[in-house]
Amino acid sequence: MHAVVAIKQVPDTSNVRIDPETGTLIREGVPAIVNPYDLHAVEAAVQLKERLGGGQVTVITMGPPKAAEALLECVEQGADRAILISDRKFGGADTLATSYVLAHAIEIINAESPVDIVLFGKQAIDGDTAQVGPGVATRLNIPLITYAVAIEEFDLASRRAVVHRRVEQGIEVLETTLPALLTVEKEIAPVRHAPLPRLIAAARYQPETWTATSPIPFDPQQIGLKGSPTVVGKAYTPAPRSGGDVLSVADLGLDAVVARAMAVIGQAHVRDLHSFTGAVS
Amino acid sequence: MTDRLTFDAIVVGAGPAGVAAALTMARGGLNVIIIERGRFAGAKNLFGGVFYTHALADVLPDYWERKPPFERPVTEQGYWMLSPDSAIRVMHKSERYLKEPADAYTVLRARFDPWFAEQAAAAGALLITRTTVTQLLKDERGRAIGVDTDRPEGKVYAPVVIIAEGVNNLLTQQAGLIASDLPPKYVALAVKEYINLPAKDLQTRFGLSGPREGVAIDVFGDVTLGLPGTGFIYTDQSGISIGVGMLLDEFVTHRLRPYEVLERFKRHPVVRPYLEGGEVREYGAHLIPEMGYDRMPKLASDGVMVAGDAAGMVDALHREGTNLAITAGRMAGETALAAHQAGDFSAAFLSRYRRSLEGSFVLKDMKQYRRMTDFLESSPQFMGTYVNLLNEAALRYFTAHGIPKRTMEHDILKMVRERRSFTGVAWDMLKLMRAMRG
Amino acid sequence: MNAEQSTIPRIWVFVEQQEHQVHPVSWELLGAAKRLSADLPGSVVEAVLPGHQVADLAPQAFQYGASRVYLIDNPVLEIYRNLPYAVAVSQLVKEYRPEIFLIGATTLGRDLAGSIATRVSTGLTADCTELSIDPANHILAATRPTFGGNLMATILCRRHRPQMATVRPRVLPMPDPMPDATGEVVSVPFDMREEDVPVKRLRLIRAEEQPNIEYAEVIVAGGRGMGGPEGFALLQELADALGGMVAASRPVVDAGWMDASRQVGQTGKTVRPKLYIAAGISGAVQHRVGMSGADVILAINTDPNAPIFQIATMGIVGDLYEVIPALIRQVKGQSHDGQAHL
Repeated sequence: MHAVVAIKQVPDTSNVRIDPETGTLIREGVPAIVNPYDLHAVEAAVQLKERLGGGQVTVITMGPPKAAEALLECVEQGADRAILISDRKFGGADTLATSYVLAHAIEIINAESPVDIVLFGKQAIDGDTAQVGPGVATRLNIPLITYAVAIEEFDLASRRAVVHRRVEQGIEVLETTLPALLTVEKEIAPVRHAPLPRLIAAARYQPETWTATSPIPFDPQQIGLKGSPTVVGKAYTPAPRSGGDVLSVADLGLDAVVARAMAVIGQAHVRDLHSFTGAVS
Repeated sequence: MTDRLTFDAIVVGAGPAGVAAALTMARGGLNVIIIERGRFAGAKNLFGGVFYTHALADVLPDYWERKPPFERPVTEQGYWMLSPDSAIRVMHKSERYLKEPADAYTVLRARFDPWFAEQAAAAGALLITRTTVTQLLKDERGRAIGVDTDRPEGKVYAPVVIIAEGVNNLLTQQAGLIASDLPPKYVALAVKEYINLPAKDLQTRFGLSGPREGVAIDVFGDVTLGLPGTGFIYTDQSGISIGVGMLLDEFVTHRLRPYEVLERFKRHPVVRPYLEGGEVREYGAHLIPEMGYDRMPKLASDGVMVAGDAAGMVDALHREGTNLAITAGRMAGETALAAHQAGDFSAAFLSRYRRSLEGSFVLKDMKQYRRMTDFLESSPQFMGTYVNLLNEAALRYFTAHGIPKRTMEHDILKMVRERRSFTGVAWDMLKLMRAMRG
Repeated sequence: MNAEQSTIPRIWVFVEQQEHQVHPVSWELLGAAKRLSADLPGSVVEAVLPGHQVADLAPQAFQYGASRVYLIDNPVLEIYRNLPYAVAVSQLVKEYRPEIFLIGATTLGRDLAGSIATRVSTGLTADCTELSIDPANHILAATRPTFGGNLMATILCRRHRPQMATVRPRVLPMPDPMPDATGEVVSVPFDMREEDVPVKRLRLIRAEEQPNIEYAEVIVAGGRGMGGPEGFALLQELADALGGMVAASRPVVDAGWMDASRQVGQTGKTVRPKLYIAAGISGAVQHRVGMSGADVILAINTDPNAPIFQIATMGIVGDLYEVIPALIRQVKGQSHDGQAHL
């Protein structure tokens, strides 16, 4: 069993601050973490390996040299091989260019050692687009199942798997041929506290680094800014919605405050109180 | 079935003591593992602080070429003695401080510690982070043979364990080297802020002509409301570290909240202008052991040694701690190397660690100032009464224009007599001399 | 290529249907498409409707503003799988090369949009909160939140077509339908057999009927300040009196006091009610991004510095367990039939 997991190193967005003057991200002091969903994807791959009694988990990432730390964290969680795909020429890539790079890398990895399943976290918490996984599946021409929450069956002999997918209405139970690409939710596998021997293995492990030209060439027209149809026109901090009066019950008394509140509620023009529940849940 | 994880030496904690030990042993060819509970080396560390390079030079002679991330060399230093509205400031500045590398630098631990740990890793030590050592493993005879950690399959074995776990000395207690947790009387709590200042303001306010100058100020008196303790203001590259520390039981007895004490310090009329327009970037707190020489743990037992804050190696009077830690770490490492050579990890053999320390400034200074903590606690007038007296006297002295100087001198002596009495002063001086002489 | 196909700027909207029900986000997108069309001279607004035997849904698309519906009918499209939908829609896109293509950012939409964008090699901007036409060059400016809502970015797709964007449900307003509108239906041939589809749906495990707060007009939400699950019965009473629904902030869901389907916020649902009452919610940015589009916000909190007050139409500093019952009394008192008419 050979699983490839694509990960991304992201800033911990719950701790992000924006410089109000320049509108740019203040990166210093913000810890870089493995995108949480990707860590669950790695766990899913490792647990699949354990379930099947053997196999290999290869983890890859396209990023700056610092992203090697994120790869090592995945090795701690059980990945066997880690590849950093890093080059200045990849910079400025949008999701189309990123999916090209990752898909091309996976094709090369597959040529060395056939890949049975590719896993992505459902989205990166900095970009939040959820586009790269579907893009890679499309390029590799393999079935795509997004929002996977469980791998119920995985049979290499018959080249099929049964996957649970979360949708608005509930859970779809899908059967797919292999290889397939899954983007996963956190429920797919809990991230376990890595055993000490794995930490030691990771501390001694050096990820491989692939550049835009070596060991395999990437098409210069499809990478980085060149390969990105979208650009950021401008970035700004959202204009805050301004607040109105704040009244204190202690100062004005409950009745007065509630009377004002009723007037404000009246402004909402909630007539006939129909809630539009919509056609689909 | 799984092979035991075995090393030549285990170091608990990747602070200055632990890293110095690991670096020494790795360079000596031992297979060393450092186990650190923080996310990275230094993640759990915080100090004022001023770093003395002599200790680093002893363990890493070419450290300067490796570009250590220091903040500023200390080229001017001294004391501010604050009364509620005034300050007597005694600073020393000299061209002789201007050498490279300097004798002392201000340092930020979150930057320095990872660099230092990297030097140990480069020498071959294995640094494992985000892992907490929970227990010392012992054989049937009570000799340390390794440690257990909070991770699955987390036991690691080695004939010698060097405990550099810091002020929360749980493992040191487990090793039987010290009886219990430090009581609040013998541990200090310090809080600090790192405040960013525009370069121009930093330079003009502190009289710095460039990045190769820096100021270290230690503050007494009103900063700790006259209670035993100190404050500090140190210049870093783009801002200042400002903080205050007091014995924990002082905070408790006087119902003081550490952050409020710091805020009050920052608002002091003499201090405030230095901070104007600054932006607080970080706030932190840390405990500092103040047990003193007489209450230090045993420094070695079968298969185990303890160094740094875990062993109480702090000389608060001279704001020294990190250099004691690095020196002790180095000596523990050297002892471990010798123990491996001899194949003997017994307490008897490891006692040479203590002997090395006794022959160095580490234990010599700790011994000399052994009475300091008790002295300051029993003589709060040094931080309170005297500082205020000096400030009052200075005010009177400098504003005695138009009144006969004899009257002014008389007033000052009257003030001293009223507040402390002359016998009180004599007695205090005697006690101070004893405390300083050891 | 025929002249019609090459010159008219087409603004396309994907009509998502499952089990013969159209997801309302499709109509919200048609509303947006109509507004964009006003700024894009000579443009048309058209809908893409893949499915099996769904022709009778086309008239709704006309009512919401489409002048043409491309109907792609094939049994393999009855149940959504990525491959048949992506191939069918991409073929159509390559044939007509629309100027703009909007898709709802639902589970289905997010699964599909990235595949289409990759197949036709174009740019896609996900989860937009604002769409407009740049007057200088007539290209789509798609604005979206990044870094958890801390930074807004406007994305442009200058040269590639179509310019694709996805928008979450309830971010755009629901347009008013025009009951007499009609349009043209174009049947699009699509050949694919079930044997060619590698993914089969074995079954659907339906979740218990989950309350859908996304489309509620009135929401009464509780946060950590509620102190426990019991207080939510009080919020339910107020919600009932106002004809609304109860919702919760993330800490409440994490603590297990309310179900995740009720969660409003960055990792929960985005709501745009006419009235949002926030009780005991501090208003961290991750919560605010899910409800700051409400018309009227009434916030109750004991902390005068709670960030929620920065966006509330009116804020009350007080104990919600005093204020809410008082509000309930007022609301019920104003009505004769136990329901309020405000």
